[in-house]
Formats: sequence, structure tokens, C-alpha cells
Amino acid sequence: MKPRVAIGFLGSTLDQGKNAERWQRWRPTVSLCQHQDLQIDRLDLIHGTSHAALAERVAQDIAQVSPETQVRQHVMDLKDPWDFEEVYAALHEFARAYPFDPDTEDYLVHITTGTHVAQICWFLLTEARVIPGRLMQVTPPRRWKDGDPGTHSIIDLDLSRYDRIATRFRAERQEGASFLKSGIETKSAAFNRMIERIEQVAIRSKSPILLTGPTGAGKSQLARRIYELKHARHQIKGPFVEVNCATLRGDGAMSALFGHIKGSFTGAMADRPGLLRAANTGILFLDEIGELGLDEQAMILRAIEDKRFLPVGADKEVASDFQLIAGTNRELARAVETGRFREDLLARLNLWTFALPGLRERREDIEPNLAFELARHAQASGETVTFNKEARAAYLAFATSPEAAWSANFRDLGASVTRMATLAPSGRINETVVAEEIERLRAAWRRTSAEPDAEILAGLLGAQRLAHIDLFDVAQLAAVVRVCRESKSLSAAGRTLFAASRAAKSSTNDADRLKKYLARFGLMWEAVAAR
Amino acid sequence: MITIDGSAGEGGGQVLRTALSLSAITGRPFALENIRAKRRRPGLQRQHLTCVTAAAQITRAKMSGAELGSGALRFEPGAISGGAYDFAIGTAGSTILVFQTVLPILLHADVPSRLTLSGGTHNPMAPTFDYLERVFLPQIKRMGADVDVSLHQAGFYPAGGGSWMAGISPSQKLQPLSIENAGEVRLRRIFADVANIPFEIARREARKAAAMLSWPAEAATPRTIKADGPGNVLTIEIAADYVTEIFTGFGERGTSAEAVVARTVKEVREYLVTKAPVGPHLADQLLLPLALAGGGSFVTMHPTKHTTTNIAVIETFLPVELKLDDLGDGRWRVSVRR
Repeated sequence: MKPRVAIGFLGSTLDQGKNAERWQRWRPTVSLCQHQDLQIDRLDLIHGTSHAALAERVAQDIAQVSPETQVRQHVMDLKDPWDFEEVYAALHEFARAYPFDPDTEDYLVHITTGTHVAQICWFLLTEARVIPGRLMQVTPPRRWKDGDPGTHSIIDLDLSRYDRIATRFRAERQEGASFLKSGIETKSAAFNRMIERIEQVAIRSKSPILLTGPTGAGKSQLARRIYELKHARHQIKGPFVEVNCATLRGDGAMSALFGHIKGSFTGAMADRPGLLRAANTGILFLDEIGELGLDEQAMILRAIEDKRFLPVGADKEVASDFQLIAGTNRELARAVETGRFREDLLARLNLWTFALPGLRERREDIEPNLAFELARHAQASGETVTFNKEARAAYLAFATSPEAAWSANFRDLGASVTRMATLAPSGRINETVVAEEIERLRAAWRRTSAEPDAEILAGLLGAQRLAHIDLFDVAQLAAVVRVCRESKSLSAAGRTLFAASRAAKSSTNDADRLKKYLARFGLMWEAVAAR
Repeated sequence: MITIDGSAGEGGGQVLRTALSLSAITGRPFALENIRAKRRRPGLQRQHLTCVTAAAQITRAKMSGAELGSGALRFEPGAISGGAYDFAIGTAGSTILVFQTVLPILLHADVPSRLTLSGGTHNPMAPTFDYLERVFLPQIKRMGADVDVSLHQAGFYPAGGGSWMAGISPSQKLQPLSIENAGEVRLRRIFADVANIPFEIARREARKAAAMLSWPAEAATPRTIKADGPGNVLTIEIAADYVTEIFTGFGERGTSAEAVVARTVKEVREYLVTKAPVGPHLADQLLLPLALAGGGSFVTMHPTKHTTTNIAVIETFLPVELKLDDLGDGRWRVSVRR
């Protein structure tokens, strides 16, 4: 056992006592050395010059009751023992000068004596490991019996040593992370790390959060969970307001978001507070924020920067304090380049950006989510549906294969499970049901998946002519054809394709330019756009 | 290696002290396990370590687990060295208990020993210096030991500060002893001693004790004694031809002088009523010397759990048998046979 060293102040009141009667009182510093189950091998006793006589008597009494203890007296004169700055500086200096050797000695900082300020300083110095020891407190016996030294307790400030505290910390952290993950089942280490990071940000920050990822990756679910987490931690008290910006196009968008006052436009029959005001003291989740018009973007920016905005038709600004979570499946940086998204708003949103991977990038999560979807179906429909072993294996084999596109991510998986559960005879999904479902998914993804470049062009030019076109040109032409097919007219397609030149005013006739390009391959607008 | 279960029976400290003495004398190492296992503060306490360290010092023993709170101790004694020893006992612990541990050992040394002891001399739950001097040592001397003690200052709990000296001459072989009756009572006296507390308390105790025992008032003497801290001890002595017995009471704050007297007088009466010459404490202390002598017997009162536990430890070290015979009317005979 390492020699035990106690360091502490002389108690100028509690350690007092001149005559024999002093032994009938509890004196903390003396009692320190009277315990049957604690032996102090050395006591470093700090006192002021004016208490030298008392220190000497205490030292002598300790020598008598504890011949094993060596008492060393240290003079420390404090002008004001309640002055934090002075006491801390003095003790810090004392600790710095003390030749601590924790490998050969065990240090206990005796905090029972001295002012509360001294206690705080001891605590700080020990917690900061300037003093490599543990705190010790002695308490008088509950009922006085002559000489009873009372009790002593040793307090180790290393929190990791306390199982229950450590477990609780872990559990609370876990609770946060699993809180966010519920509904987003995962086995993916990378995804788990991201969820943990989001948790940290969600708990500590009120800044906007941007969630990116493909449709159905779980952005909206995650936003809702962040809200619930913050709400459970009493960080917000307002509601969760969710809106998909793709549904806000046109004239109604402004008024839906920012509200309007009665009579501000035709049909404005009454005041409308708007979504931003509804989200006051809560969270506003703007999904597909890339779909928001430029005017609305400007208003949103002002609303998150100043927490104020002007409702439609109002002449006075209103206030709303909300945290913004934005979702997008677009590359917003590219939208900024094409002028469809405000750069300053992106900069504001970009502080915390989390990219939610699609299900294809999280194949290890298909299995846990399968279980989750089944449980959700059971909850919604009231009947429990299970796979038989072979059916489950067959479905997972397909689901995790490269062939499975999961183009709508969790939405696809959810729909797939719902279909199988509905068709399952007596609540059991068998191989037949799975085989049908796999076919259904294949067909669906075949329809939606983009055709390879060569296939697009082969339909227009014929395989033979295609064989004489360089790969260089095939890639470009296929891209042009795709834009044409998505555009209403030759001019619209031209505007999209030559947007950059158009912005630089270096080309005015986009339609003509496109027409000539197509002609190089013997193609006409009508033929290209026909499909 | 002898293994002793420290949680069995009663008197954890007594088991340890007996084992230390016998291990040192016989040279047989021992392991004590589950030390004070069922106590609120389990393991070795400072008062126990004091005895361990003293015995180890005298025999240059090799030890493991000799630390505070330890639940297991291994003790391998070397040769016994007599000589000068200074034992300073912490927490005002009983110097008498330490002395009784090392006395049998030093009787087996080659040279005389001179001990200086400091700490407590009058502790509750331990024999007092008066008891040692006038009750225990006379019996040991009758067995052939040459021991003398002299008190310099009394030490009470919690201040301690008592000090005394002891001289021990080697006497390898103790003679068996037989105490069948106490003989004629020659002296009955009461001392009520106070240190650093009002003398009136001593006076009240003396008066009350004499009255309760219906002894003449002159038998009781209130005294002020010198000590570092406060202390009060009541000593009631009955000296007969073959045995002197002493009964001790301690004053403490919150307990009236009268209550201290009543408690002590009750023990005296029980002893007198039973008419057994050896009181329960002396009985415990005679077991080891008798076992070392290899014979002898005495009549005492109903054996306590301490006594039976102690007998069990002795029998594991020495080739002896200690027998308890119920003589009726609360009297028992303890006899030792090889």
C-alpha cells in the first residue's frame, strides 16, 4: 500500500482547544488521524502565521493519537480567505511547488477545514489534476461519544471510475442517438457516425441544418426526430412545421410561408399567419428547398437572419423565432450556378450539411429496415406478418444485390413490404409472394431507370449509324436528347442547354443553335421530342 | 500452513492475537482469511495491524496482506529476538492487548526484553493496566514467568498518551497451574479514578460503589490521576489467597456516574454469586499460558463464545486438548491435556 498523504488547512475554529476538554470535542484535523480504517502517513497542514500555536498543538495531539503520522506545517498567509482570486492563486502556487509523486504516494485533499472558497479551489485544482489526488471529507459522529472520530469519505473526481454515472452518460448519449435513429434503422457504421454527429449538432446548435439526399432517404423522418429530441430535452417548446416546397409554387407560396393580412389580395378573406409564424419557438422543416422561388428564398434568408419578415400585404414586420431544417435532393451548389438558388441562402444553410445516403449505399441497412417496416405494418394494420425462412432469404438476396436500384429508397422498401404483407396468405410471406414482388420491383425500376446513352440513341439513329459515331459525341448527344425530351419546345430546350452563354449574352438564338446541332446527326426536333 | 477462518466464531481481534503469539512461538506460519468479514468495516483495522507489526518486528516475520482493510493475512515468523522494543500505539489503542500478544513470544526469547509502550492503558473492551498488573501477571508469575511492569502515565481513549515499561525475562517452560478455589478474601477495595474531569464524579462513584456492594466506605478511594486527556475508570478489586479479580467500569459523557457503578457492580455480584475463582476475562487470558504449559485447570464461570473460539485456535497450533466441564450452578472447569 502506498503511503497516504493528506493535505489540508488547519481549522482555525473547529480544530481549536487548549485544555484537556479539547479531547471531548470533534476536531476535524485530529479526527482525520483517529480512524481505525484509515492511516495517514503524512499530513501537510496549512495555516496562517497567527495560528502557529494552534497548529503546533494539533500536530502534537496527532503525534499522540497517531504516532504513524508525520505532520508537516506550511505557513500560508491569506489576507482574505474568502477572496477566490487570492486563495486560488495561493493554492495553485502551493500545488505547483509541491513535489507530487503519485507513483509512490497516495494524496488526499482534506476539504473539511478552510473556507468554502478554499473548498472550491481545492476542488478545481484536483479536478484539473494540478493536484493528483482525491478529495476527502470528514464528518462528526451523528451522536457524540467520547473520541469517536466520526466518518470519512474519499471522493474521486474521475467520473469514468463511477460505473453508474458512466453508464448513465452512455445511456443518455445512446438515447439521443437511438432517438434520432428510430425509424431510420441502421447497421452502417458511417451512417451511425453521422447520426451521432447530427445529435451533437441538434442538441448544441440553433443554426439551420441542411439535410441532403435522394427522395425517400429519410430526410423528413430525421427532421421530425431531431425536433422530438430537442423537445424532449426542453430546448424548444414550439411545434414542428413541415412543408414540401415543391407544393408551394406560384402565387400562394408567399402567403403560405409568410402569411398575409385580410384583403391583401383577392381571396384573402381573413388574416393568415403563415407557416413561419406557426413554427415560432419550434422547428420549420422546408423539404425540397431547391424548389422554392427566388423571391421566397430572399424572404426566408431574411427571416432566418433577422427572425423578422413582412407578411403579404402587411406594412409592419412580424417576428418568428424558429430553427430551420432544410431538405433537398438537388445539388444546391449547381442550382446556384444556374441562378436557380440564392448563393447567400445556401451559404447560410451550409453550416451543418448532412448527406443522407440512399438505400443503395446502405445495403447493410436493408435487413434491419425490413424488420422495422414489418413492425410498422403490424402497428398500422393490427396484424403481424412474418417471412418464412426461404422467402426472407430470397427477398434479402435480391434486395441487397446490385440489381436492386431502390430508386425511391425507403419509400420503395416501405411500399414493397406493404404489398407483400397485404398479399401474404394468413400473415406469412412465402416464396411465391416474394418472387412476384421481385418481378414487380424489377419492372418498376426498369421503367424509371434512365436508359443508357446508347439505347436512347439507337432508337433514334439505328444501331448501324450509331456504330459510326464517336463515344465522345454519343455522350453529348444523349444528354441533349434527354433535355429535349423533358422540354416543352425547341426554344425551352435551347434555353436550358445554353443557359450559361445566354447569361453572358453571347448567344441570342438558342433554338437555332440546338436545331443546327441536331441536324449534324440528321435529327429533327419533332423526332427527338416525340418520345 | 495453518489456515484460520476469521469470520468463524467471535472476537476477530482475539483470534488474530492468539494466532500471532502461537505462530511466533511454534514457528508455524499461518493464513488468516475472511478477516472481520461480516463487520461494517471489514478487514484489518489499525488496532489489529499494531499487533501484527509488533509480532512481526520481534520475529522478523515475512508477511503479506498486512495492510489496512486487508481481508487476508499470511504470517511467516522467523526466529524470536528479545531485546529493547518501543511500541507506540495509534488511535489511543490498547497497549495491554499488544503486550499480551508479545509477552508469550518474548518469554521464549533467548535474552531478556525491555518494552516501552505508549498509547492507551485504560481502554474499554480491553484489560486495563491495573488488571494486567494485579490479576493476570500474578498468575503468569505463579507459572514461573519473570515479568515486571511499571506505569508512568495512564492513557485514556481518545487522547491516549499513556506510557509504561515492562521487563520480561525468558522462561521457556511455563509450569501448569491449577485454580480450584480462590481461597480467603484478603482485600476488597474500590478505586474511582478521574483525569481532567471534576473530582466530584470520582467521589460519587466511590460512595455509590461501596454502598451498592455493602462494603465499608473506607474500601472506596476517589483519586485524581495524571493523563493527557479526560478519563474516568472505576476499578473494583477482590484479592483472595490464590486469585485477585478486578472489575472495571468506564465513565463516558452522557452516562451518569451511578450507571457506570451499577454496571460494574452487577459483574462483581455475578462473580461473587457463582463462587468460581476465575472470572470470564481471566479465563480467556489463561487459556494460552496453560496450553503452552501443557497442562493445568481452573474453575470459572459459563464460557463465552470468545472462550470457545480461542480454544479452537489454540488447538490448531498446539498438540493439546482444552476441555470444558459443566460443574453445575454456573461453574465450569477448563482443563488442558496433551
